[in-house]
Amino acid sequence: MSDTPVHTLDVKGAACPIPVVKTAKAMKTMSAGEMLEILATDPGVEPDMKAWTKQTKNELVSIDRQDGGVFRVVVRKS
Amino acid sequence: MSDEESVLYVMTHGTESPERCATPFFLAASAAAMDVDTGIYFTMNGPQLLKKGAAETMGPKGEDGQKLSFFIDQALDCGVSLYVCQPSLDLNDLTADDLIDGVKMIGGAAFNDMAMEASAVVTF
Repeated sequence: MSDTPVHTLDVKGAACPIPVVKTAKAMKTMSAGEMLEILATDPGVEPDMKAWTKQTKNELVSIDRQDGGVFRVVVRKS
Repeated sequence: MSDEESVLYVMTHGTESPERCATPFFLAASAAAMDVDTGIYFTMNGPQLLKKGAAETMGPKGEDGQKLSFFIDQALDCGVSLYVCQPSLDLNDLTADDLIDGVKMIGGAAFNDMAMEASAVVTF
């Protein structure tokens, strides 16, 4: 299984609930095991992605805060 | 997928308070995106928000920001169910034909059953 996300979702500038809503949509088009990279600036994205993955049983691989207040979130579809 | 869980929102505010109009829709969209069965029940003034054309003319921040229609469409797109009952329509001089497409008619018994079955009921 590759550790490099093959899909990227850029939701920089979008406020809650768009990062979660678009993540859910993007994941529906993916196969199990595939990873999605999400780039977001919503300050609530970390707790939201933790809650979303917990509830949907998908895996939260990583959350990193990058320069410019951008969060890079990686999730893997279960 | 957790088929058992559900959240039911209850919206009692209508066009009199635009600042209150969008929150139930975007919280419900979030819940639906979490694979939770999600509905919003509109009662008291709530059905006013579902009248055809109303959502295009108002938004939570007035002339700034998104219109209510954006939040309704987002919720529907995520699979949120919208419910009203007949007495609430009568109260607002509305009929089912006046409402946007996709609104489901229920009654008080169905509402109470949904509330008792839901994992959480959130009232606005």
